[in-house]
Amino acid sequence: MRVAVKLLATYSKYLPEGAEGSAYEVEVTPGTTVDELVATLPVPGGDASVVLVNGRGPQPGQVLREGDVVCLFPAIAGG
Amino acid sequence: MYGWHGKVLRVNLTTGEIRTESVDPQMARDFIGGRGWAIRYLYDEIDPRVEPLSPENKLIFGTGPLTATPAPTGNRYMVVTRSPLTGALSCSNSGGFFPTEMKRTGLDLFIFEGRAERPVYLWVRDGKAELRPADHLWGKDVFETEDAVRAETETHARVACIGPAGERLARIAAIMNDKHRAAARSGVGAVMGSKNLKAVAVRGTRAPALAHPEEMKALCLEVVEEVKKAVEAGSSLRVYGTAYVPPVTNEVGILPTRNFQTGVFAHAEDISGRALRSKYLIRPKACYGCPIACGRLTRVNEPPYVGEGEGPEYETIASVGSACGVGNLAAITYANYLCNQLGLDTISTGVTIACAMELYERGILPESDIGMPLRFGDADAMIEMVRRAGLREGFGDLIAEGSYRLAERYGHPEYAIVAKKQEFPGYDPRGAKGMGLLYATSNIGASHMAGDIAYMEVFGVPKRLDPLAIEDKPAYVKYFEDIFTIVDAAGLCVFLSIRHLFEPTYRLEPVRISRMMEYATGAGYDEETLLKAGERVYNLERMFLIRAGFTRADDTLPPRMLGEPMPEGAAKGHVVELDTMLPEYYRLRGWDENGVPTREKLAELGLA
Repeated sequence: MRVAVKLLATYSKYLPEGAEGSAYEVEVTPGTTVDELVATLPVPGGDASVVLVNGRGPQPGQVLREGDVVCLFPAIAGG
Repeated sequence: MYGWHGKVLRVNLTTGEIRTESVDPQMARDFIGGRGWAIRYLYDEIDPRVEPLSPENKLIFGTGPLTATPAPTGNRYMVVTRSPLTGALSCSNSGGFFPTEMKRTGLDLFIFEGRAERPVYLWVRDGKAELRPADHLWGKDVFETEDAVRAETETHARVACIGPAGERLARIAAIMNDKHRAAARSGVGAVMGSKNLKAVAVRGTRAPALAHPEEMKALCLEVVEEVKKAVEAGSSLRVYGTAYVPPVTNEVGILPTRNFQTGVFAHAEDISGRALRSKYLIRPKACYGCPIACGRLTRVNEPPYVGEGEGPEYETIASVGSACGVGNLAAITYANYLCNQLGLDTISTGVTIACAMELYERGILPESDIGMPLRFGDADAMIEMVRRAGLREGFGDLIAEGSYRLAERYGHPEYAIVAKKQEFPGYDPRGAKGMGLLYATSNIGASHMAGDIAYMEVFGVPKRLDPLAIEDKPAYVKYFEDIFTIVDAAGLCVFLSIRHLFEPTYRLEPVRISRMMEYATGAGYDEETLLKAGERVYNLERMFLIRAGFTRADDTLPPRMLGEPMPEGAAKGHVVELDTMLPEYYRLRGWDENGVPTREKLAELGLA
């Protein structure tokens, strides 16, 4: 199944070439958790990154669903 | 004294008398500096019910004990007065270079009283102050004024001034410094204008003495190295400025859109820091002593928006941009330049125009009153409204009054997205509930700077809180209000301070900032006394509001936030449960059920 990965702020540098805007689609096997997907991405782990699924913080162990948007950006003070 | 100079300059504009006063060391320590000292003076010296634009109001510029010290971002000052927009306090904050130079005159605070008969400006050179005629400057914009004042004083003088908006007593007028930096909010520029004070120019060589200079130097180096490392690793603030935020708030569903009718904007990517960087950025720009450099020096070459200047910041993008339905970054950037030039608060200006757009689209505000159509998304109409507001020209006369007075005039105050009559900044609180409680309770009306809990709710700094939850939010909001008070009063910037001077835990212990305060002042600060001082200042501000006639009924939000569920996005279906959070907040504050500090709380803080 397919989910979208959205990389904002300085994480845009990790976007694959040719990605339109800030997001790209990836194929994951059903049952994959959010954490498992995030672990495959080159972004810093732990508190250094904010991870959202469809705009909200995921539950521990949350399993991805078809069409989910997984958004990551660095935890940094804002406007 | 160390850290502080312990000197206040009192300028009576009515009589022209200027004198320097010494500060009581106990007061200095108990109220920290800048914002804290200012409320002590204001509370003691004016009737809180004074007409804000009358000579009886006082206008205070305040630096903190860490301003002009080696403390990174020790470049801030506060403007404190009774606000003509809200009737509450103003605590407007700005950085750049003026505040450091002001502190180097050997004076910590300037208090302006009365009203000059003719326009004047103040020139302070190393403790020597004089008022000079400013008739020839009246009518000039911010950029022209600064150039003229520097030409008449010293090339390296730093200038804070008002533009046409402040002269015309626009309730959304800013005090600009270093041309592009703004003590923006609550109409402080109108108070300056009402006093016929066009500008303040400063030049100084008197850095404050430090109590423990070696320890201070070591700690500051440690912090600077840490920040530099973060910046080299790719800090979003350095790379994109605060403009990196729109896609983030859009993802969370709280990017103010079409006067806060929704929190989702289709053009969020078009108005982001990435777009700004690729299209208009000349280079990042830092305030004095800042290793981050979140400022943006920009240039737009696209007609009719051609210009060069600083900005836009996120707050400007969210107000003159998405709140007005405008997704054209060139137009937003141009509107920012125009606000700076005229001396307008971009947040209140943008959100008031958004309010006018909603009134217009609902058929409440007739086109004949405006003189032109005013639809959401019309970038050129938005820019024309900015221009007219700054000059109080035509319908701009009403925009200059702010959203509340505009919407009330047309019989629909519910469309004014304000708290205590001040326009919301760039976070729709239906999707960040702590921000809702903050806007409602803030002593200065809706403001992110009053205790930006979005750090935790949206940005994960230093830890993430669920923005849609309300449990624990009263405690966090209280704590954030208190620590933002400390950072303001100390003369530092919140961006660096919250991240690097407090422990990165859910408790945010003020470890490094209390050490910095102690190394600078030697006044006996530790974590506990500093937190107590922050709470003391916050409570005295609250008492000012109580004496000005504010009640629990004023600690509220517009009906849209309390009763209209967010229509789409990640916060879909949510409102702000203020009635649940407010009593708990009062209880944690030690205030009674009407929001009045109890005698016990005041006694505990030494304010009884």
